[in-house]
Amino acid sequence: MFENLPYPDLILWLLLAGLLLFGLMAVNALAAVYAERKISAFMQDRLGPMGQGAGFHAGKWGLLQTVADALKLILKEDIIPRAADRRLFIIAPYIIFIGAFIAISALPFSEYIQVIDINLGIFYLLAVCSLGVVGLITAGWASDNKWSLYGALRSAAQIVSYEIPAALSIIVVVMLTGTLDLQGIIRAQEGLIWGILPNWIIFNNPFTFLAFFIYFISGVAETNRTPFDIPEAESELVAGFHTEYSGMRWAFFFLSEYANMFIVCGIATVAFLGGWQSPVPGFLDSGGWGLFWFFAKLLSLIFVMIWFRWTFPRLRVDQLMGVAWKVLLPLALLNIFGVGLWSLYIG
Amino acid sequence: MSRYLVNIWETVSTLIIGLGVTFKHMLHIRRGYVTLQYPEEKWPRPERKIGFDHNDYNVIRSRLHVDIDDCIGCMKCARACPVGCIHITTVKVPKGVDLGTTSNDTKKRLLVTRFDIDMSECMYCNLCTYPCPESCIYMTGGPNSGKHPIDYEFSEYDRSNLIYRFANISPEEVERITTPPAKPETEGVKA
Repeated sequence: MFENLPYPDLILWLLLAGLLLFGLMAVNALAAVYAERKISAFMQDRLGPMGQGAGFHAGKWGLLQTVADALKLILKEDIIPRAADRRLFIIAPYIIFIGAFIAISALPFSEYIQVIDINLGIFYLLAVCSLGVVGLITAGWASDNKWSLYGALRSAAQIVSYEIPAALSIIVVVMLTGTLDLQGIIRAQEGLIWGILPNWIIFNNPFTFLAFFIYFISGVAETNRTPFDIPEAESELVAGFHTEYSGMRWAFFFLSEYANMFIVCGIATVAFLGGWQSPVPGFLDSGGWGLFWFFAKLLSLIFVMIWFRWTFPRLRVDQLMGVAWKVLLPLALLNIFGVGLWSLYIG
Repeated sequence: MSRYLVNIWETVSTLIIGLGVTFKHMLHIRRGYVTLQYPEEKWPRPERKIGFDHNDYNVIRSRLHVDIDDCIGCMKCARACPVGCIHITTVKVPKGVDLGTTSNDTKKRLLVTRFDIDMSECMYCNLCTYPCPESCIYMTGGPNSGKHPIDYEFSEYDRSNLIYRFANISPEEVERITTPPAKPETEGVKA
């Protein structure tokens, strides 16, 4: 629809799409932060942000808490350490943000809603997810702070190591569906197995079931969430690579972290859980409902990520690397082998 | 090799047990949360054991209050205060002006125009409460709960609000009471 537009119109459509995506990222950060605070509170037998009381309060059930936080961050003083590398310091949050932004723009929100619909879909997503590392290292280096540098380098090692099992698990999906195109992968998962289970790749064979978990764990590690949050370990590195950032710059890091969570869960739903398809074909299946199913699956996965954060203790950095190279990588390679054999002789 | 697989199995199973625990806590939040939502909900202030019965001896240390309608302006409390944080100004009224009586039926002879207690200087020693002949200055709560129940949250946003101004007479009213009524001219009689 947009291929043959004259240039001014195309630019305007792209700007509109960009604004909508930015709005989505902001709303996602607001909602995810609120959800994280409430869910973590409930898991710890406390109430989290609540809003009863006189005076300036945070809305019923604390719903306006994140709005108040955002206002506070905007009004904060912008401090740049004197010894910091000024240009890199300023650019770093934007690099991570750009990485997250262009990845979100490729996610298929429904059958008809997708900003970048290229036939290299999933390859593009995997490639773009690695852009964040550059921003992280830049932030750690530019802060001129030893702990930030440690955090940044550990984070770089972690992200690069966990890219491999993630990519190998996605290769399993590509093997089964035969296409890199995201809409094609989703369409290949329609129908039912044995009459009751939806034909999602996760239910296809035991190897893909394992592949989903390998991908999910690697995704949690890529976004620096607990139990893999050594780079921003609050009790060890003050705040890791974003120690020296305050106010709006820190808000960009924060926004990008939640956007990365969104992307990882998005890729997991598209590749393994059937994307925008309804679990029971025929039930709420028409065009508009795709958006609902996509978000339902994605938000459940985000809930699982939050659940992980507040249940598990943090991994030490050598244990973290051990898990990536000694456990997840062999299992991912085994998966590829197993899925190949399965589809050859059984599937 | 088997050690490796057993490790993986143990890891996964114990992680799932942990997930179950937190999920259960999340679902049962209504039953057991430990948050006290102040100021809607407050813990009751505990009774203090001081060695003798509260009703015998006025030693509660909470916050000073003055029943200004009972004050006769004797300034005994201001003299008793070791810190000097009570500031009282009284005005003699001209003859014939009736100020009324206190609740103990003592006639009031002085008009109290200023009765300020600077609570940021007060050291809560209670020494001002004992000499008062009308028992009108006291600490709230405890044995005085009938007159003024206890409150323990008198924090203020501005330090000047810690000066408690008890006198409730306006300057115009003072002017009105202290100005003697116009006397009719009397001729001759001068003793």
